[in-house]
Amino acid sequence: MTKETLSNSTTSHPFLGSFPVELAEMVDENTILVQRTLRSGQSICHDGNVVVLGDVNPGAEVLASGNIIVMGSLRGVVHAGVKGDTNAIILAFRLRPTQLRIGNHITRPPEDESSDPDYPELARIKNGVVTIETFNSVIK
Amino acid sequence: MGEVIVVTSGKGGVGKTTTTANLGTGLASYGKKVCLVDADIGLRNLDVVLGLENRIVFDIVDVTSGVCRIRQALIKDKRYEGLHLLPAAQTKDKTAVNPDQMRELCKDLRKEFDFVIIDCPAGIEQGFKNAIAGADRAIVVTTPEVSAVRDADRIIGLLEAADLREPKLIINRYRPKMVNRGDMMSIDDMNEILAIDLLGVVPEDEQVVVTTNKGETVVRDDKSQSGQAYRNITRRILGENVPLLNLEEQDGLFSALKKMIGLK
Repeated sequence: MTKETLSNSTTSHPFLGSFPVELAEMVDENTILVQRTLRSGQSICHDGNVVVLGDVNPGAEVLASGNIIVMGSLRGVVHAGVKGDTNAIILAFRLRPTQLRIGNHITRPPEDESSDPDYPELARIKNGVVTIETFNSVIK
Repeated sequence: MGEVIVVTSGKGGVGKTTTTANLGTGLASYGKKVCLVDADIGLRNLDVVLGLENRIVFDIVDVTSGVCRIRQALIKDKRYEGLHLLPAAQTKDKTAVNPDQMRELCKDLRKEFDFVIIDCPAGIEQGFKNAIAGADRAIVVTTPEVSAVRDADRIIGLLEAADLREPKLIINRYRPKMVNRGDMMSIDDMNEILAIDLLGVVPEDEQVVVTTNKGETVVRDDKSQSGQAYRNITRRILGENVPLLNLEEQDGLFSALKKMIGLK
């Protein structure tokens, strides 16, 4: 009933023509915006990037061939780079996934709950290992 | 026109039936005309909890399949003026009724009653779909356990998908002492995940078992804290603004003194 599969739409970007040429290459059309919290049992599957304006609760899953950004607490299962893209990233305001996958890497958070950071974090593959870093340290 | 409220949870054993019985009795005690509908076909309990088992002649399946009229199947609770029960069938299963029939039934019942409260079966299959089909509002019951909260979250998602917006939450069997020790999920922990309006918190109370086994409801017990919690929830349903019960009070004189001198 709530299982929704959002397919990739390849219609051309209406504003793309107005960008400078060098910027146009950076524009990614395949991003969808999910404007709600994903609850247990709900799933988003998209060929492209996914941005969630809400939480991803335990029992919910987000699968994307590109990057995943969660503007809230990420507690469910996420898989970025489903088609094998190891450059895909996962960013969340509170990164507490049940399981985190990028490309063909599967990780889960450490058993001890000692780290419970209160700031946005980013997960990506560095030197063949999934690493979690503070988001602020990455943007500069 | 009355209001149809479904009481649901996903997980079994969290207190849907107890909650339904208490809210029904509570609303009736405020002079409302209430009909309780047991949608748990094949595993009916509501009649037992209300002590009305021996008065069942017709049931919900008889009504939806046209064997009898609604009026014939309704059982009037003689103890509480205005309280009625439409019992479930015990010898059939969930497929004996479909969502369209439930919608029709709710439409008829809301003409007669101020409140129609549907006791939903556990699970998310046909029984659940039947129970929510005719409802205007939903109450989700959960206990402070990860499994129950997870199922509640799933249920809230399904309710929203079925256009039952803004369900309300009742936290049942809450034990403040365990929460204080860090051994049980707190109200905030649950709110962080479920993020829906809290209708009330019912503390764990032996009195619930005592009254239920006698076919009575704890909401009529003036001395018990759980009864007070259910009375408060009843008033909130009626639109009153009632603050949450202070569950710490039962800790005794010592903690009350500590609180007074600000130690908390």
